[in-house]
Amino acid sequence: MFRKVTIPALSIHPGRTAVIGPNGGGKTSLLRVLSGIALPQEGSITIDGVPPRQCEIGWVNEYPDRNMLFFSVKDEIASPLRFRNVPCSKADAIVTNLAEKAGIGHLLPRPVKDLSGGEKAIVALVTAVVSGPDVLVADEFDSHLDMETFEAAERLIAQSGASYSIQCTQNMNLAGSCDHIAFISGGKVQHYGTPGEVFKNLAGTCFYPFDWRIRNGTGL
Amino acid sequence: MELVFDHAVFLRKDWQLEADGRFLPGIHLVSGKIGAGKTTLSLMAAGLLSPDKGSVKRNDIHSVMLSMQFPEYHVTGSTISAEVRSWGLDPDIVLASAGLEGYGKKDPFRLSRGELKRLHLHCILSRDWDLLILDEPFSALDCREKKDVCQRIDQKTGGIVIICTHEQRFFPHVDVIWEIQCGTLVRTGELPHALTRWSHAPARIRKLVEKGIIPENISESDIMEASCWMHE
Repeated sequence: MFRKVTIPALSIHPGRTAVIGPNGGGKTSLLRVLSGIALPQEGSITIDGVPPRQCEIGWVNEYPDRNMLFFSVKDEIASPLRFRNVPCSKADAIVTNLAEKAGIGHLLPRPVKDLSGGEKAIVALVTAVVSGPDVLVADEFDSHLDMETFEAAERLIAQSGASYSIQCTQNMNLAGSCDHIAFISGGKVQHYGTPGEVFKNLAGTCFYPFDWRIRNGTGL
Repeated sequence: MELVFDHAVFLRKDWQLEADGRFLPGIHLVSGKIGAGKTTLSLMAAGLLSPDKGSVKRNDIHSVMLSMQFPEYHVTGSTISAEVRSWGLDPDIVLASAGLEGYGKKDPFRLSRGELKRLHLHCILSRDWDLLILDEPFSALDCREKKDVCQRIDQKTGGIVIICTHEQRFFPHVDVIWEIQCGTLVRTGELPHALTRWSHAPARIRKLVEKGIIPENISESDIMEASCWMHE
């Protein structure tokens, strides 16, 4: 990106964190440095005292095509296990089990190039969690999913075992269900806290969850 | 002006899509599970994919545009200005409307995905099309941009607009809902009556219908108004 993201200090708590904010505000830049894909030009980031590149991190790109390295869905999902020299029979069992849980068992033999956009997104998520990462970083894959697949993705994330699950989303109802939210705009973290704390600052904007408006009877 | 799927069937090894129906001028919403065939339907509608059986007819349709799910597939310009010019548009006007003033000399791939989608949609929606197919137009957009896109779609009159989407909150005023169920395109019906039969309806709309409240349409203001009745 060609704009600066400046975060003088931020401590993200363990659990599920939603990263929200307007387009071009710096959400993806934050996720890229959190995942270790990019390095900050100044300052440092540590996850429980360790740089991201020394952590087990699962990454879901905002462009699902950029996650895909292998020909078939099965090979793609199995790749993190194979890179860790997990025996093939064990890797196959893990992949099959997880794919079934995600409702994509039928996709395993398919070439990834034949998948729909939504299918690529869920395959990218399954691949990211298959090896049980300590940190899961996902960049807005959920906008490609139908409700049923979205719910399966939610279960996968909940069961991933990741200590930190950090997800960029434009689904404010989802953000409202997370443990914490970071609202990024203009290259700065404008708000960080629990959903109640953050959304209190966003009342009256379209970022305020629709369901909360209904619940509170606050209207548009 | 009409788009007709005449017993059109697209076949793959372990999957098929059947479509039989007429799309008349107005706004049509197509929903379905991931992999159901929405993109395949879009490609057939645009004439970029031929059905293996049956036919797709575009009667009295002289201009067709397909907006693909991933905006990067559309990019041909090496700068943002060149990209806008490739659509036959004035970069100054489009970049101002898209809130991207001053970025004309930048590489389009240096934009965030949401910004690239916004740029792409502003280019497409700056012109009128007899048949406009929008495949997941809302993905990657923030709520302000989604609202803006809905307003721009609402202003499109006279042509056929088909929106394939998983969006759960922001919609323009829709005339007809279609669904792809078990490999078949089904005309769920015109609004508001179709809402009682819409199996892929967003949770908020489903809750309203379950309580016997049928919104007039599915725009955010329609749903908010209907939700207020629920509280009364």
